Amino acid sequence: MPKLLVCYKWVLDEQDIKVRPDDLSLDSSRAKGKISDFDRNAIEAASLLVEAQGGTVDALSYGTPAVKLSVKDVLSRGPNALKWIGDPEADKADAFVIANVLAAAIRRDGPYDLILCGEGSSDMFYQQTPARLAALLGLPCVTFVSKLSLEGDVLTATRKLGDSTEEVRVTGPAVVSVLSEIHKPRIPSLKQVLGAAKKPNEEIAVGSLGLSAEDLKPRAVRKSPRGFLMNRKNVIFKESDAAANVAKLVSSLAAEGLR
Amino acid sequence: MTLLSAEQKQVKQTAKDFVAKEIIPIAAKLDKAGVFHPQVLDAARESKIFAMAVPREFGGLDYDALTQALVLEEWGYGCAGVGTTLAASVLSMDSVLVAGTEAQKKMFFEPMVRGEIGSFGLTEPSAGSDAGNGKTTALKDGDEYVLNGSKCWITNGQFSTVFVIYALTDPTKGMKGLSAFIVEKGAPGFTIGTVDHKLGIRSSNTVELLFKDVRIPVSNLLGKEGEGMKIAMMTLDLARPAIASLALGIAQRALDECVKHVQQNYPDPKVAQPGQTLQFKLADMRIQIEAARELLHHTMNLRDAGLPFSVESAMTKTSCADLAMKVTTEAVQLMGAYGYTSELSKLMRDAKIMQIYEGTNQIQRLVISRAVLAPAKPAVAVQKGGN
Amino acid sequence: MSIHLTEEQALIGQSAREFAKEYLDPIAVELDHSSQYPTAVVKALADHDFLGLFLPSEFGGAEAGFVSLVEVIENLSRSSAAVASILINHSIAAYAIQRWGKADQKKAYLPALAAGKTLGAFAVFEHGPTPGVGPDALQATQQPEGWVLKGTKAFVRNAGVADLYVVLACTDPAAGGKAMAAFIIDAKASGLTVGAPFDTMGLKGCPVADLVFDNVIVPATAMLGGLTEGQAIITETLAVASIAEAAQTVGIGQAAVEHAAAYAKTRVQFGRPVSTLQAIQTLLAETATDCHLARLGLHEAALLLEQGKPFQVEAAMVQQFLARFGAKMLVDTVQVEGGFGYSEFMPLPRLFRDIAGTTLLEAPADYPDQTIATALLA
Repeated sequence: MPKLLVCYKWVLDEQDIKVRPDDLSLDSSRAKGKISDFDRNAIEAASLLVEAQGGTVDALSYGTPAVKLSVKDVLSRGPNALKWIGDPEADKADAFVIANVLAAAIRRDGPYDLILCGEGSSDMFYQQTPARLAALLGLPCVTFVSKLSLEGDVLTATRKLGDSTEEVRVTGPAVVSVLSEIHKPRIPSLKQVLGAAKKPNEEIAVGSLGLSAEDLKPRAVRKSPRGFLMNRKNVIFKESDAAANVAKLVSSLAAEGLR
Repeated sequence: MTLLSAEQKQVKQTAKDFVAKEIIPIAAKLDKAGVFHPQVLDAARESKIFAMAVPREFGGLDYDALTQALVLEEWGYGCAGVGTTLAASVLSMDSVLVAGTEAQKKMFFEPMVRGEIGSFGLTEPSAGSDAGNGKTTALKDGDEYVLNGSKCWITNGQFSTVFVIYALTDPTKGMKGLSAFIVEKGAPGFTIGTVDHKLGIRSSNTVELLFKDVRIPVSNLLGKEGEGMKIAMMTLDLARPAIASLALGIAQRALDECVKHVQQNYPDPKVAQPGQTLQFKLADMRIQIEAARELLHHTMNLRDAGLPFSVESAMTKTSCADLAMKVTTEAVQLMGAYGYTSELSKLMRDAKIMQIYEGTNQIQRLVISRAVLAPAKPAVAVQKGGN
Repeated sequence: MSIHLTEEQALIGQSAREFAKEYLDPIAVELDHSSQYPTAVVKALADHDFLGLFLPSEFGGAEAGFVSLVEVIENLSRSSAAVASILINHSIAAYAIQRWGKADQKKAYLPALAAGKTLGAFAVFEHGPTPGVGPDALQATQQPEGWVLKGTKAFVRNAGVADLYVVLACTDPAAGGKAMAAFIIDAKASGLTVGAPFDTMGLKGCPVADLVFDNVIVPATAMLGGLTEGQAIITETLAVASIAEAAQTVGIGQAAVEHAAAYAKTRVQFGRPVSTLQAIQTLLAETATDCHLARLGLHEAALLLEQGKPFQVEAAMVQQFLARFGAKMLVDTVQVEGGFGYSEFMPLPRLFRDIAGTTLLEAPADYPDQTIATALLA
């Protein structure tokens, strides 16, 4: 029976984040948490694999203590058990730190036959965690996966590339990152929601993972995030002659630096 | 109630009879199918009611403003969709009445006397409340204007034979470059676009008008170039009470339907009566309808006396439209499932447009509040250096 | 979201929102046009346990409680209030059986209702002044072969598609409303016919019709509750329904205010978005406020119901509030969108017609006032 792991990130719903018009800073005071979009696809992919052929799915997440709010949401979507690491420092973590923490937790509770991640997170979208995790664990990494099957220890994946697809086969444990095309995430039924509380979940203290201060020190430091507002210039050309309007528009755009 | 002359009473009664015979029996069917009503036009032809605002010298009925309001209330009572056809046709005429030459009046009014209808084309997708923001142009080419662009939500469009269309003769001047034109059905390049499907007044025809190189003679220009906005505003001042009249008719109909329902269920007041909640709601409806009608008739009296009535026109439209919405909503509620499944629900849907078209009630309130806040003329000259 | 929602309740609301986007958004407009009962969607509701939402788990229900119910109703109604109507009317029939059923009745009916194998309907109204809740249009007479039902129930929702009806009938014409009793009637019972569906203004797709009973014979075991318990069943069940309908209204209002706000930001008149005009902001602010306060009130009523505390006055207050401000939410949001908002090519006209149904249809206009005043004056 395969033992699967799915990693996910608990992010703020970008729809709830407002840009303050005066200084373009971000106001997330009313933002609710959600499972990062591609990670929901990973959860669904893992759950469908074990529902079809047996096995178990563990879920794993590293985040701020708010990650605790995700417990029942994640467990209502298929996984059998959850481990989560709540760390007040996690909001400063870059992909380097995130991969270090996840890898340490996997070494603690693994090994797993297959580790699934979303292709990138909805908030930062570094797209580094799956690859770094694979490197730290010494496993092959298959990215951009739009189709996935597992027979015994043979994994077959379709990778969706820019203008082509390729099928790859991997034997033995691997890290896979999936795209949104892979599956439509399920909508949990009420019994699945209510059943989530009965599934095991365990908090892992970040200090218990044997990581050094250097392992937990972010290399990429995020400075002030800024919103982007599109401001209309409200320039209107209203000559009666359409051709003259077009000519003026073109020269105006050129003057703005558009070539 | 305003005291009506014998003639006004007669016209009102005739309109009531016509509506009862020709409109009320088919209103629900037209609403359900969302189709226009050529049969009503046919039935009304002989009476020349579509020429009720046309001066006598052009063969029209030449009704005064109050009499027109009486007719429109009855039509609104029967079906606000059909009533809208009449109101919109009168609206199109008003522009010609305001600014037309004798020849133009003859050209526009004769079809009305024959029982044909007209359309008023001002609104565009970008120019709703902001009426001066249209894109349709009418550029002069020799002794013709060449019309290009489109108009939206034009009442009667598919069935009208004559149109007043507003277009920019000088697009650089914005609303100061707006002019009004008479356009006839069938002009080459003039076609009908999408037909709208609406929440209410579904038996009125609402379409898009498309103009592609439509050539119109300079003799069809109403007033002078650039006078379009002025003409449009004067037209709408004249027309707003028409909407108020339709709205009032809707409200009166809703009250009457409620009363009929109550009387059916409580045939003998000595045996049983509806509760006070219901009784008082009916009383409130009656109070508000009477008050709104007084304001409408007062406004019409001002107009007939040749006095300024622009602000009163806005107040009338706003109060009657809001009233119609309120009364129909309460009527549906009073009758519960009966209201929701009967023609009352049509009244509620029809009432909603009254708050929107021919200037939203927000625009009316702008007009009214400006008048309210206008500096009062001092009764006595202020002495310099006082205090 | 309200502060008192538990994690599960919030997740259930989220699940219902996801469900609505997936299953209801694609069909809502077509459902409104065709009025065809949405069989596939009701099946999907069952698959997600919505049809047995508050029923006990021993009968296969999710036992999620009434706060979850209103969260689900609101979130479904944001996409299709008609589908929510189907759920509400099924739910109140199930509520009555769960609340007043004897053990064998519960065992016989609740598992199928919870699983969605059986769709329920609650038949209480009769033609009359307001349309009222009885008491004499359907008579039940005791005969040697059982109860014989003769007469008509009016404006029954889910009529014709339901598999069972909880029906209120009068057992003694002389005693009127005091002699009401409830019966569980199989839709296939001999002598029971469904009248032509009413053409309603909105909530299209949830059928509404009269039920005509021509000497329908049911065994004594079909009676739900006691011989004179009908009035209590009516009052309490309709109070439960009014909470659910308030959630429906709030869902419609929420959808409308979100749509109107988005529209106002893109609609440019006088050289700027109309959202910058104070008059438009006021329309939006008032609607959002009415919607929010109604939500708080109905959540409180749902919580009281869930906790087994008296809830009927609170339910009546919400109904009273929405009778005044519910339809106004759509009158005002359509106004924000002006001529566009009046076109059936836009979403708000459907919501306008639907909210008239959820706020104006169900109860006589003075019912909530009476309940509230009676409690005050007792």
